[in-house]
Amino acid sequence: MISIKNIHKKFGKLHVLKGIDLHIAEREVVVIIGPSGSGKSTLLRCINFLEEPTEGEIVVDGIALDCEANVNKVRIEVGMVFQRFNLFPHKTVLENVILAPMQVRKLSKSEAEKVALDLLDKVGLGDKPHAYPEQLSGGQQQRVAIARALAMRPKVMLFDEPTSALDPEMVNEVLDVMKELAHEGMTMAIVTHEMGFAREVGDRVIFIDEGRIIEQGTPEQIFTAAQEQRTQAFLSKIL
Amino acid sequence: MNFDFSLVVRSFPLLLVGAGVTLQITAVSVSVGMLIGVVVGIARLSKTWIIKALAAVYVDFIRGTPLLVQIFLIYFALPMVLGTRIDPFIAAITACSINSGAYVAEIFRGGIQSIDKGQMEAGRSLGLTWAQTMRHIILPQAFKRIIPPLGNEFIAMLKDSSLVSVIGFEELTRSGQLIIARTYGSFEIWMSVAVIYLAMTFTISRLVDYLERRYKIDDKH
Repeated sequence: MISIKNIHKKFGKLHVLKGIDLHIAEREVVVIIGPSGSGKSTLLRCINFLEEPTEGEIVVDGIALDCEANVNKVRIEVGMVFQRFNLFPHKTVLENVILAPMQVRKLSKSEAEKVALDLLDKVGLGDKPHAYPEQLSGGQQQRVAIARALAMRPKVMLFDEPTSALDPEMVNEVLDVMKELAHEGMTMAIVTHEMGFAREVGDRVIFIDEGRIIEQGTPEQIFTAAQEQRTQAFLSKIL
Repeated sequence: MNFDFSLVVRSFPLLLVGAGVTLQITAVSVSVGMLIGVVVGIARLSKTWIIKALAAVYVDFIRGTPLLVQIFLIYFALPMVLGTRIDPFIAAITACSINSGAYVAEIFRGGIQSIDKGQMEAGRSLGLTWAQTMRHIILPQAFKRIIPPLGNEFIAMLKDSSLVSVIGFEELTRSGQLIIARTYGSFEIWMSVAVIYLAMTFTISRLVDYLERRYKIDDKH
């Protein structure tokens, strides 16, 4: 579904990604872990070209990200959830969710609303379509953001530290929605610090440090039998 | 000295007509200025250097030269190029609109830049084009924030529009001058003109305050 070959990303002199190869299969849930500044968010943001790689190639669902038109095609098929939600504050929950399906997928308002209300139900916010983002808790906002991304019927979902900005008691409500998605067979790439979640939901865990993939494997392999010293050191600090 | 109050009363209807014209030219100029401003403001943020540079030249030129000189350029210099006279009304509106456009462009630029960049990313990640994201997400939010500076621009333009009196365009200031030419009532008429300007700017600034408060409350929803 996603094929990444030899991706490099430089911000000026800062060499953030130093040659990453990564393939993500359909229905696979890949969890990316690593210390802050390791490049894991940058890698995720390269998949839908929010960051343009300095070199290397990315193909998503058979579409190579090599021109503006293809970038837009890929973005339609790839949903993204951000650390800080990025809901549209001037729009209600429902308006947040129906905007892209109407503008991009050209659904009618009633079709889009039907899809939106189903998704809001699914994330447990069926009773809040007319609330504004500001009136919701962080956990609720993030669930709206997930519904908003799902409303485009994406083939892949990217999660960039989706629970890092949440109060601890709200983390689980968001993780539960993500677990459900994973069980339904959504292809997912997730950057997170929630190791319990990574272990439970991930098909594969990738450890990144200093812009390189240091080690990858099943959660079992990584969390109980990491081969690389850097992986062990990182895990010992956070587990 | 004697203050001839009856002169004020007699002149008032004529001055009010002039004030109406002043409001008109201001409203038209700032409206056209907003159209120019939104385009140029966005152009200032363009990644294409030539677009960015052209927008910068326009803004710098307009803001770096006096409005009076711009009016003269359009009313006296431009006809020499075109080979035809320009109606004072058209010249006045054109000069003021082009002038206002540069200031409004900077206001829009600031407003757009003040919106969190996560908003653009969220829009683009959903597959919206840059233009769709601007239209549905960035500009509506930016617009609320720039109501106060836009109000200030309107007030500034209302006062600066008095400059078009020099090309004989009959707005409030020019009406005053014409009445004085007939009646020699300098003191009475200039006082009246000043009071009328003040009444207009005061009303507008209250109106802007009201709009600002209303949108703030809206935001809190």
